[in-house]
Amino acid sequence: MNAPTQIKTPANPRYVDRDTLFEVERFLIREARMLDEERFREWWQTQLTEDIHYVLPVREIRMRADKKPVGSNPGAFVFNDNYAMLDMRIRRLETGLVWMEDPQNYIRRFVSNIDAAWADVDGEVDAWSNFIVYRNRRQRDETVVWGTKQCRLRKVDGQWKLAGRTILVDQRVVLDKNLYFFL
Amino acid sequence: MKDVTKLILEDGAVQDRRIYWDQDIYEQELEQIFARAWQFLAHESQIPNAGDFITTRMGEDNVIVARQPDGKIKAFINSCPHRGNVVCHADTGNARAFTCAYHGWAFGLDGELATVPLEHDAYYDAIERPRYAMHPVAKVESYKGLVFGTFDAGAPSLRDYLGDMAWYMDTFLDVPGGIELLGPPMKSILNCNWKVPVENFIADGYHVGWAHAAALKAIESPLSPLAGNQAYDVNSGLQVATRGGHGFGVIWDAAAAIHPDGGAYREWLAKRTPIMRERLGEWRSRFYNGHWDASIFPNCSFLYGTNTWKLWLPMGPHNIEVWTWTLVEKDMPAELKQMMVATNMMTFGTAGMLETDDGENMEQCTGSNRGWVTRRGKLYSGMGQVREGVHAELPGIVGKGIVCETSNRGFYRRWAELMSGRSWEEISREPHYAPNREVA
Repeated sequence: MNAPTQIKTPANPRYVDRDTLFEVERFLIREARMLDEERFREWWQTQLTEDIHYVLPVREIRMRADKKPVGSNPGAFVFNDNYAMLDMRIRRLETGLVWMEDPQNYIRRFVSNIDAAWADVDGEVDAWSNFIVYRNRRQRDETVVWGTKQCRLRKVDGQWKLAGRTILVDQRVVLDKNLYFFL
Repeated sequence: MKDVTKLILEDGAVQDRRIYWDQDIYEQELEQIFARAWQFLAHESQIPNAGDFITTRMGEDNVIVARQPDGKIKAFINSCPHRGNVVCHADTGNARAFTCAYHGWAFGLDGELATVPLEHDAYYDAIERPRYAMHPVAKVESYKGLVFGTFDAGAPSLRDYLGDMAWYMDTFLDVPGGIELLGPPMKSILNCNWKVPVENFIADGYHVGWAHAAALKAIESPLSPLAGNQAYDVNSGLQVATRGGHGFGVIWDAAAAIHPDGGAYREWLAKRTPIMRERLGEWRSRFYNGHWDASIFPNCSFLYGTNTWKLWLPMGPHNIEVWTWTLVEKDMPAELKQMMVATNMMTFGTAGMLETDDGENMEQCTGSNRGWVTRRGKLYSGMGQVREGVHAELPGIVGKGIVCETSNRGFYRRWAELMSGRSWEEISREPHYAPNREVA
C-alpha cells in the first residue's frame, strides 16, 4: 500500500457511521497507549498489516506561489518504512544496547481531532487525527512534537489494522535531537 | 582578542574544554573561522536554472545562494540594507527578484538594489542604489559541483583551501556524470557545540563498535561484527589528516557495508571501478570502494558509502542545526538512488538508527562543560599519535587503522591556526606538523 505524502480531506468524504468511528478512535487511542508502554513487538505483530507503508516526509518552507509537491524528491523522508524496516527499528531497541534509552525515556502520546471516512478501497478507512508527543529524558531534557497524521485502516479477521500512515510534523527544523519513536 | 595559544596542545591532541562552552571563544570563532573560511553552500544540482535559489547560513549569517541568468552562482547576506529585515523566508524556490516585506525594496538575483518604492517622491532620486546592495559573499566557487563561499576576499582559492582533501575527494567527484545531493535537507537541532559532530565524523572510528552496537546488530550488515568491538583489524583501513583541517577515515571494501541490501550498490561499484582505476589510479579506486567518515573544515561532514552529507550550523556555543542530504552519483539508476536515500534516512536521518546514538553523546559531551571546574579540564585525542606519519604515495598525515584520532588532531591544529588571527599568508608560511616517520 502506498501512503500519500500529503494529507488532504477528499472533496466528498463518505464519513463512517458512529460504530465504525468508535472503533477507529479506540484503535488509535489503544495503539498510542501500547506504544507509550513500549510494547513495540506486540504493536508490530498485532496492529500492522504486512504491506504497511509508514511515511514522514520532510517539508520545505516555500512561497505560496511555489506549487512543487511536497515529497516529490526521493530524498525527502524522515520515515519511509515498510514492515521489515519497522521490524529492524524495533530489533535495535530490543538489543538492550541502546544507551540513550537506558535509563528509560518517558514518552506520552496524545491523539485528538479524530475523524474517519471510507477509503477508495472497499472496506478500508482513512482516519485523520492530530497528535502531541511529549518526551522527557534524563534530568530535564524535555521536547514536544506536534503534528497530524492520516492513517489507512483495514479490517483483517474482524480486527482493524494499520495499512498506511502519513505523518506531518509541524516543524521545519525538528526541535529535538531525533524522531526515533513511533508517531 | 582572546589568547588561544594554550587551548590546543601537543600537536592537536589536547583540547581545553572551554572551547566547547565559552561565549567569548565562540564569538572569536565566528570572526576568525566563519567570517574567513570557505563554507559549503550548495551543490550545483540544487539550483540548476536561472533564478533558482536556496537559503542557508555561513556561521550565523543568513545567506541567499542564487543562480544568475549567465549561469554563474552568487551569494549575499539575506538581510535588507535599509532596516535589516530578513528578505527571503523560503528554503528554496525560483525568483526574478527578492523583495523585502517591510518597505518593499527589491533586489535582483545578483543582490543589487533594483527598485525602491517612492524613490522619486520620498528620496527625491538622491539614493545611491549601488551602495545598498545586499552584502555579497566575497567569493563563491565550485569544486566539481560543490559550491562553497567565503566572506574573506583575501582567502586562498577554494582549490587551495581544500588542498590534498580535494585529491582524495576526486575519488567520488570524478565519477562519470558527477554527483548530486538529494534533498530537501532534513533539519533538526542538537544542544551541542558545532565542533563535536565535526570531530565525530572526521576521525571517530573508535565509537562505532560501542555507541552503535545496537544498530549494527539490528541492521545485519557486513559491519555487524564490529558491534561491541568484537572484531577490529588495524589493517582494515586508515585515517588521513590533510593540511587545512580536513580529514577522513576509510574502511576498505566497505562502501556498501551499511546498506541492509547492498547488492545493487556493490554491482554498481564493481562496474565503475575499472573506470575509476583508469581515471585516478590504483589507490583512489580502492578509496572508491571504501567507506569514509569525513569532515571538510570547518563544519561540513559526510559519509561516503552510506551516503550522507551533513552541515552542522552553529547557533551559539551549545546549539547547532543539523542538515542532512543524500549524496548519489548522477548516473545511478533511479532505483539505486532510492535505495541510497532509504539507507541514509534509515541510518543518519532525523530518525536514523545511528544518528540517534550520536546525538545523545554529542549533547552530553558539550553539556558537561557547564560545570566551572569541569570546564577547566582538558580532553584527550592522542590515539595513534605514536604511529602516524607520512606515506610514500598518499598526501597528508596518515594514521593506521580506522580506530585512530589522526584527523581529529589535524582539525584542531587548523582551528588553532585560524583562531590566532594570523593571516592566511602567515599561516601558509609556517612549518607544518610533520611526524618524522614513514607509514606503510
